[in-house]
This record gives sequence, structure tokens and C-alpha cells, in this order.
Amino acid sequence: MTLSPSSFAAIAALTRRETAMLYEPGKEYLVEARLLPLARAAGCEDVDAYVALVLRDRVHQQAAMDALTINETSWFRDNAPYQAFTEVMLPAMLQARAHTRQLTIWSAACSSGQEAYSLAMLLDQHLPAGWSARIVATDISTSMLERVRTGRYSMVEMNRGLPATLLVKHFTRVGSEWEISADLRSMVETRHLNLAGPFPALPTFDIVFLRNVLIYFDLDTKRDILRRVRSVTSPDGYLLLGSTETTLDMETHWIREPAGRVQLHRPIAGPTSASATAVARAPQTALTGA
Amino acid sequence: MHALIIDDSRTMRIILRRILGDLGFTTAEAGDGQQALDAIAAGPVPDLCLVDWNMPVMDGYTFVQRVRANAEHRNITLMMVTTESSHGHVVKALAAGAHEYVIKPFTPEAITEKLELLGLVRNGVPA
Amino acid sequence: MNALHTVTTPEAEDVLAMAGEVWATFLGEEPLLPAGPAEQAPGWSAAVTVTGAWPGMVVIELSTAAAHAVATRMLGTPQADEADTTDAVGELVNIVGGNVKSLMPEPSVLSLPVVTTGRIAVPTGQVEVVRLDLEWLGEPVALRVHAHDDSTEGGIR
Repeated sequence: MTLSPSSFAAIAALTRRETAMLYEPGKEYLVEARLLPLARAAGCEDVDAYVALVLRDRVHQQAAMDALTINETSWFRDNAPYQAFTEVMLPAMLQARAHTRQLTIWSAACSSGQEAYSLAMLLDQHLPAGWSARIVATDISTSMLERVRTGRYSMVEMNRGLPATLLVKHFTRVGSEWEISADLRSMVETRHLNLAGPFPALPTFDIVFLRNVLIYFDLDTKRDILRRVRSVTSPDGYLLLGSTETTLDMETHWIREPAGRVQLHRPIAGPTSASATAVARAPQTALTGA
Repeated sequence: MHALIIDDSRTMRIILRRILGDLGFTTAEAGDGQQALDAIAAGPVPDLCLVDWNMPVMDGYTFVQRVRANAEHRNITLMMVTTESSHGHVVKALAAGAHEYVIKPFTPEAITEKLELLGLVRNGVPA
Repeated sequence: MNALHTVTTPEAEDVLAMAGEVWATFLGEEPLLPAGPAEQAPGWSAAVTVTGAWPGMVVIELSTAAAHAVATRMLGTPQADEADTTDAVGELVNIVGGNVKSLMPEPSVLSLPVVTTGRIAVPTGQVEVVRLDLEWLGEPVALRVHAHDDSTEGGIR
């Protein structure tokens, strides 16, 4: 079974229009692997026939977009960002927010939620008594958000980087899956959000995880996303990108601050679309590292 | 870094051998817990044991208990790799002294990530 | 059919989900698809039995070509002889069986796998509670779960 060049071009264009994600030529195999199960389920003879269906049917289109925007993910992915969270970002925020005792964290492009729940597990372990934390998990895929709310994971997903001690502590078996505890689920709130489009009303975030998703966008879109992320990030807050992603060509909005094996990004004070109060509160610390 | 792969299935030993070999480990194999104890006694003492649960002669759980009972072997890292997948089994293995737990089926990435958690692998090579 | 009231049964969807994961993880990208019952007797059969809180048996039946493909793919070799196939298919049923066991009341103990060419005999006192007729690489694969029926004479417990 092979995907025809015209089907690939059509589905790549649709994915780009709907989600701004790029499927470059050479990724035909990936499109095919992700759509084949859906094609079978829809009773299509092959993926070409399924693409034709997707192009004319809104419901199938949503399912196809969901399948094509999935990121493979693991718990505590790459470890180092979570180490930086526990050792650098969290201690700094515990000082900075001592008066409110409230942290707000954004897991952007959260996919099936492993990042949001990894952070929730660390907060469960490290957040002092009397503090509360809110993790906002957003994704373009509504079916992924539903998965995050359910908090259930397959055996194969559970194996991916989750320490056995945390599995034992936070998960129970439900049928063939594992379910994360209600305590941790109550810490995570899901919101539908397309990074490439205008953001809905969002809180101001102390820490933003925006990892391994910018790679899918072209440069202008990347720049625009980072500008808008800055507008919802607290002036003394942190942004963390994927290990291969950089703000090198966006010097005007963020400064980089090394923390162990990762680069943290901090907003630079200055005129953006951020609310006036956020700019006014910009502390010196955002500038001293420059 | 030397690993001992303990599983009664030759197929599973080959799958694990391939993954560990790609990560730069030297490997030896045993078909049950008793063979594994004999292999450790004869040397070389492995840095890591991947341990199946259900095996003939001596099961993996007993093997973990026996290794943990021997102070000389306290530096051996023990990781269960088994189809036993209930919450209770994971609790029991950790209580007996296993350091990590992988449930079959697993992807090669799952093994790599667990070995990173254990500090035995960094950036795709033995730490 | 009152007998069925005394039998604890795993959900067919759970069994299929687990088998799908095992296949996707060890056997390549081709999916395990629903199909009609196989027309011919299986070329190979493999089983594990469960004793304890949930006495039962998990059986996988495959055509000769499917069993051969399981062995070559799991072993990563172009060829597989009978010993290879026995070991690979045995490990396959061990993994699926262990996962099915975890769905059921604990504590239970999993047997070592039994593998044979042809069909495998199911002990008396066991009733089929899940049957999944599937297709993989265009070849028939069947997954069956048998549970001990307390109401049947000659039962184990």
C-alpha cells in the first residue's frame, strides 16, 4: 500500500492550514502509518481513499488531524528539563510567590498529558504544604485533551520513562490501562488551544513548557507564537523549549539562562501585547542576566 | 558496563541483547534464576541484571531476594522485565530490592529511558 | 447457560487492546485486524494457564505462515526453524497471557508456555469466554480466553 503524491500533497496542505504543522516531502511513510488504522476503521480500501473522504467530511477531518498531530511522548522526557524544574525554576518561584503561595504552569501542546502529569508528580513531591499549583494543559486535539482528563495510559506508555516508585505511588490498574490518581488529575486543567491561532483568555503563567512543538512550524509562525507566549508569561517567569529548539533568532523577546544541561528562557521587559500590569511588575531579575 | 540477561525465552534474550548491545553493554545470558546466580558466582559480576519473573527452576523474584541477601552484590542494579503487570507485582518486586520495573511489551526506547533513570546510560551510551 | 454466571470474564476489548500493543511493539507496523473465523485448523497453537484466584487459560492460534512471521520478526532474522518458532510463539503467548491475567482477580500464577503444531487441547471444566478471530499479514490469528467454570463437574476447585 502506498500513498499517492497527490494525496500526500492534499493532506499536508490541509494539516498546514488547520494546524500550521508542516509535513515535508519524505514524511509520506509517517502520514501513511498514522492514517492507515483510521482508513481501515472507516472502511476505506486504502489511505488514498481515506484522504479523499477526509477532504470532504468534517468529522473524519478532525480524526485525521488528531492522528497527524500526535507527538510520541514519554514521562519525564529527556530528564534534564525536569531536573531544572525541581532544582532551579521551582525554588525561584517558591521565593517569588511566597506571598500568594500559588503557581500557575502551562503545558503547551500537551498531547496525551505525560508532561503535565510528570510536573504534577514533581509538585506533589516538592510543593510545600499550604501551596497550590494549577497546571493548564492545552492541545489542538480535542481527543488528546479528553485523554488527559481521563488520565489513563496503556502498558507501553507506562513503560516510557516513568520510575516504578511513581507508578506504584500514583497509578492504579483499570482494565488494560493504568489510571493516574484523582489528586493529580485535579491539579491539571485542560484547554483547547491552537498555538498558531489567536490565544483564548489565559492566566499569566509562572512556568511554561513548550517543548518539541515549534519544530513543526515555519519561522514566522514560530516567532509569532513565542511573542504571544511571552505576553502570557509572568515577567519573572520561565519558558522551557525542546532541546533542539532555540530563540536564537528572537533575541528581542527572550533571554537565555543556562541551567544544567538545558537552556531556560526568561522574558525581557519591554513593550509587547502583555497587559500593562505585567510590564509594570517586571522585576530587575529579568534584566540582570542579560 | 556488563549486563546479565535472565529470561527463559531465547527470543526475549535476543531482543534484550540487541537493545543492550546498541547501548554499548557487554552481555551474558541465563535461562533461569539459578543459572544467573551461578553466572554471578563464576564472574564477571554484572553491573546490571534484567530479570524475568516467571522462569523454571528459580523465578526472578526469588533471584532478586537472593542477590539482595548478599552484601557483596549490593552494587548490582536489578531491573525486572516481565509480563507480570499488576500493581501488586510491582510493589512486591520493589520491596524485594528491584530498582526498576519494565512490563512486557516494551519498546527499545523504554529500556533506554529506564537505564537513564538508573544512571547507567547517558546520551545513548553507558554512563 | 446459568453456568456462565459463575465465570469471571475479561472484557474482549481489553484483551484486543493488549494484543494490539504486543503486536505493535514486537511485530512491526502491520495492524492486527478483526476477521472472520479461520477456515483451516491452526498451524501452531500456544497456551499459558493461570491458577489461583482466577483459573483460566489463554490460547493463541496461528497459521504456519503467521507463526513463522512471528519468529522471524521477534528474532530479527530472515529464517526461523521449528525451535525458533516454538520459543517465539511461546514468548508471545506468555506476554499476552500475563497481561490478561493482570485484568483478573489476584493472586494468580502464570504457567510456563506450552507450544504445539496444530490445535491445543482445552481441559474439561473450562469454558471459552473470549474469542477474537483476527487477521495479521493476511493470515489468520485467533486469541481465545478460557475460564474455569465452577459449576462444571470435575472442576479443579
